[in-house]
Amino acid sequence: MSRSNAAALAGWIAAALVLSAVAFFLGSYYNDVYRKLLLWIALALSYNFLFGISGQVAFSHFAFYGIGAYAVVIFLFQLGLPLPLAVLAGILVCTAIALAVAIPSTRLEGFYLALATLALAQLFIVVLNEGGAVTGGTGGIVDYRLPPVFGVRIAGPWYTAVIVVLVLATYAVLWRLDRSWFGRACRAVRDNPEAAAAMGVNVARTKVIAFTLTSVLAGIAGMVYAFVDNTVNPPIFGLENAFLLLFMVIIGGSGRHAGAVVGAVLLYLLPFVLSPLIGHHHALVFGVLMVAAILLQPRGLIGLYDFLKRT
Amino acid sequence: MRDFLELSVSAAASGCIYGLVALAYLLMIRPTGIINFAVGEWAMVGAFGGFLFLSRIELPYPVGMATVLGFMLLVGWATERIAVRPLVERGAPLLAPILALLGMLVVFRESISLGFGPDPHQVPEPFGFEHHKTWIIAAVIVVFAAVWLFFEKTTTGKAFEAVSLNRKAAALMGINLSRVTAASFAGGAAAAGLAGLLVAPNVSAHYLMGVPLAIQGFTALVIGGVGRVEGALLGGLLVAFAEQLTVRYAPLPAGYAQGVPLLLLMVFLLVRPTGLLRARA
Repeated sequence: MSRSNAAALAGWIAAALVLSAVAFFLGSYYNDVYRKLLLWIALALSYNFLFGISGQVAFSHFAFYGIGAYAVVIFLFQLGLPLPLAVLAGILVCTAIALAVAIPSTRLEGFYLALATLALAQLFIVVLNEGGAVTGGTGGIVDYRLPPVFGVRIAGPWYTAVIVVLVLATYAVLWRLDRSWFGRACRAVRDNPEAAAAMGVNVARTKVIAFTLTSVLAGIAGMVYAFVDNTVNPPIFGLENAFLLLFMVIIGGSGRHAGAVVGAVLLYLLPFVLSPLIGHHHALVFGVLMVAAILLQPRGLIGLYDFLKRT
Repeated sequence: MRDFLELSVSAAASGCIYGLVALAYLLMIRPTGIINFAVGEWAMVGAFGGFLFLSRIELPYPVGMATVLGFMLLVGWATERIAVRPLVERGAPLLAPILALLGMLVVFRESISLGFGPDPHQVPEPFGFEHHKTWIIAAVIVVFAAVWLFFEKTTTGKAFEAVSLNRKAAALMGINLSRVTAASFAGGAAAAGLAGLLVAPNVSAHYLMGVPLAIQGFTALVIGGVGRVEGALLGGLLVAFAEQLTVRYAPLPAGYAQGVPLLLLMVFLLVRPTGLLRARA
């Protein structure tokens, strides 16, 4: 291992230790808030790769989070698979659904993916509600526990450390991808598909791979989420979260990892500040912020930060 | 047989609603290329307009309907002014106004839920319950005939067509692009609002009613093709019949009918991505 690689690895480990250590100083309420914040960051990072870097408008990202969560719970407790097999099967389910949506949608230019994924997200909720004993219907599935891993029960702040590892692994994968040939192909396809095709990039395949990969990342985040509340039910995975993710990425600054993180932190924490003022109508504020961001600062808060730093 | 006839009338009425939503998309896509996902929320605003003017203030139906349509024209015009025109003038990519309109979608939905609460509200039928489906079909046929005549027979309609074929050339011929864009958004909002007003007695005005309508309408648009006005109505009828036949004859829970548009959308994107009707040369 070269010196720079060793330094990078040390950096990742240090980040993991610091972010996990925080969990041990928080009470159980703030641990819960912290876990969900971390999960939103993981989702915003992968959605940023899909929307910001590869330029695909999709509303299915949060549905894949739900598909991952439900899949792992169903495989574990309805079908009785062991944990590693259940995770693998969950990943296969996410991959199959992502391919089934992405391949037809790339046949046409424009925003057909947006509609197909909107319909998928809507259908997912219907399937959850009507799924009977398999999905638990409107009540969902409750009262299960993460099976022991190598004989150890992971709980409390230790589970928060698992989520920290998930966020950092997601970030590491996306960061490497972004700097690879594939990341440049994605940006080329986003900015000018004709030119990308002329340079020998397979536009349709690049889009399908980016969509499937980020959707599977969302699914894995969902599998981790399944053991945060030890409950999965339809309202958790409602469509408004798909919009929230889009808003996070745009308000933070799309196409930038830091932007996704800033957007996720801001929009996740904002309701805690706003709810004493306007109750649960904080989405109205998000909508206004979103329109304002596109009209006034298309590069988001990160773009604003860059601008202030330069002047 | 009687059962099938009843099903046909009910499917035709739903199909007309979907067709009207598809028409709203089409009016905006043709001249601008912008897919406005907020049409579903516009329909919702139209439904709440119906509740406000017909149930709460109890205006006579024609007056209430005209008020709602006038208000929707204003909503469409204002939306274009706020979320579309500044971006088009700046030369932003096409995605920018589409995203801004998504933001507006949430603003519409949350404003309505803030103003009217989360409970559904009753909207009256003008000719009673048993004739409401006939009224929907008649009203939508009149709208489609009027729009078709507008595009085929009037100079202004031809100007719209010219813009959708080639924006630059149309501008050089002296057509005012921003006026055409504003008019297409006003018209789209009126069509969507009418769809909401017509469907409201069946489903009640509810702040979450927009998204399903937006999906069904868009599926109708993809099936019919964006090239021709009639395509929107044809697509709407096909989606509605597929949905109702599935609910009636397939051994599935009724909720799965919402999966029919998704399935049709996928099949059509794979098999016939340009839609059933070709644009006329």
